[in-house]
Amino acid sequence: MTAKAHILIVDDEAQIAEMILASLEANGYTAAVAYNGSQGLERASKEKFDLAIMDIQMPEMDGITALGEIKKIDPEIEVIIATGHGTMGTAIQSMRKGAFDYLHKPFELKELLKVVERAVEKRKFNDIAKAIFSTPKPEDQLRVIIDAITRILKADESLLVLPDRDGKLRIAVSEGLDDEESKASRLEMCSRVMQQPASAARALQLFETPSLDKKFSDIKGLEKVKFSLFLPLVEDNKPVGLININRDADEAYFTEDDMQRARIFGSLVNLALRNSSLYRQLQETQGQLIQAEKMSALGQLAGGLAHEINNPLSGILGLTQLVLESTDKDSQNYTDLKEIEKAVFRCKKIIVSLLSFSRQEKTRSEPVSVNEVIEETLTLCARQMELKHVKITRQLAPGLPMVNADFQQLMQVFLNMFTNARDAMPDGGELAIETRLLKTPAGAELIMTSISDTGAGIGPDILDKIFDPFFTTKPVGKGTGLGLSVCMGIIHKHNGSIKAQSEPGKGSTFTVSLPV
Amino acid sequence: MEKKVLLIDDEALVRNYVRRALASRGWAVTEMADGASALELLKTETFGLVICDLKMPDMRGEEVVRRVREMRPEVRIIVITGSVSNITSPIVPGAPVDAFLIKPFGIDEIRDLAEKVLKNEGPRG
Repeated sequence: MTAKAHILIVDDEAQIAEMILASLEANGYTAAVAYNGSQGLERASKEKFDLAIMDIQMPEMDGITALGEIKKIDPEIEVIIATGHGTMGTAIQSMRKGAFDYLHKPFELKELLKVVERAVEKRKFNDIAKAIFSTPKPEDQLRVIIDAITRILKADESLLVLPDRDGKLRIAVSEGLDDEESKASRLEMCSRVMQQPASAARALQLFETPSLDKKFSDIKGLEKVKFSLFLPLVEDNKPVGLININRDADEAYFTEDDMQRARIFGSLVNLALRNSSLYRQLQETQGQLIQAEKMSALGQLAGGLAHEINNPLSGILGLTQLVLESTDKDSQNYTDLKEIEKAVFRCKKIIVSLLSFSRQEKTRSEPVSVNEVIEETLTLCARQMELKHVKITRQLAPGLPMVNADFQQLMQVFLNMFTNARDAMPDGGELAIETRLLKTPAGAELIMTSISDTGAGIGPDILDKIFDPFFTTKPVGKGTGLGLSVCMGIIHKHNGSIKAQSEPGKGSTFTVSLPV
Repeated sequence: MEKKVLLIDDEALVRNYVRRALASRGWAVTEMADGASALELLKTETFGLVICDLKMPDMRGEEVVRRVREMRPEVRIIVITGSVSNITSPIVPGAPVDAFLIKPFGIDEIRDLAEKVLKNEGPRG
């Protein structure tokens, strides 16, 4: 059995030192003794101690100096000062120098053990905090957090609930929950706790036998939970998530100490989550900036190119047509020239797309109903969809607030995305369009439009390229590859975003979000 | 209005096919490669139609159009351009034109538009 902690005792009174040693060893600690300051420092530099208990009054080197020196050797060691001639002054001095606590001699061993326990716990928290903050990946960090909570609070089950990108609550990480039913029931419990009015939702909450509480009695599968602790995670004074800790044993009450530990943990987790969300935001912003720069550079290139090309292209078109006028309609020359003419028209289409991509168009802004834009766009392409055997299903939420937007431009975006969906289903399929209102934890409102197809899907290796200008999976001549990048540009101008999700074989879903 | 057109474009390739396209429909075509020479010519000759490119080296197309309007208020003007910055608005600010055509355009497009614009007796916008 591993010791709870390894402790250094520094006291020039041998009897006292031996007593402390015996007492600590009897309580599961391992310890070593030194009879003066310099001896103590020597030991500390050779061995790793979690704690040191030091007497203030010692020959050669007093406790306060020893305290300072030992912290230099090991900054993480916690030091308890034992003072027999203590005045408030020395006590304060020792705290200032970094002592964890002080004890007044003569003290009862029971008191000492209590202080030792608290110091050990502080060390544990420090170690956990270090582990959490030094874990770079958010997924690993969550695992470290849930493991630590389970250990410290002696949980039978623990789960961390956070909203995902769409605002829906989900279990980010859990321990002790083996099947989907138990996970679902705990998640439901948490979501109800979070739905309470803001002030209630911000406090630490305790429930005994939740299955009997009228708030949760209708949730199946909670029977084995005897005690539930709910720890809210807060950002900017608003509840953004929840940690739920459950115990199954009959008498396993959560004590005041448990609650205190939970609170400390709560602040740690809040900090860690804010840290990683800031990190993620930073990465996203950087990604967006890079994308914007790419687009802008390409835009300028595209614009310049288009202008340069138009003249020679005109020449080719015009002269070809003139020659066609005096060519025998049945000749090979006529056929070939016609092909040239067609090719020029294709070039023209590409240039128009290029220019619309590079154009700094003035965006009109007026209150627009997203549902209306969708309906009008569908009117435009309904016939085509029918011809290609694409079934359109709509689930447009009624009464959605308006967005400030350019009606035509939004139509352009939706038309492009509907066409893409249709092209992804050459043998027919289903195009599902859904709109809904989303309220973010920060209080903003967004209109979310999702466009899903039952096509072949997009592989993970190209999923992050689809918004790049000129990227297309269509055969040569069938697409310019500019559609999605133009759409992205338009939506960004409206302060919205487009996200794509897809799995090969399962189809794709594009989600456009626009702020109200 | 007589079928006499002044074609102003710095690109020889464009002048070539537009001239031939219109000539074969009975137009008398005069070509100019820059704005200044065209304006000079307008001092002494009259035309039913002026076809002018917006992007030219010596003077901006818009400026040429404005001056043409000043000198010959009755002449019809078609602006041709590869630039689509004004794609939804055919009006060159301060100088109303009768029509615009975006390059690349085909021979029948310019022929039909020229005929149409010439016949248009009404007020211009």
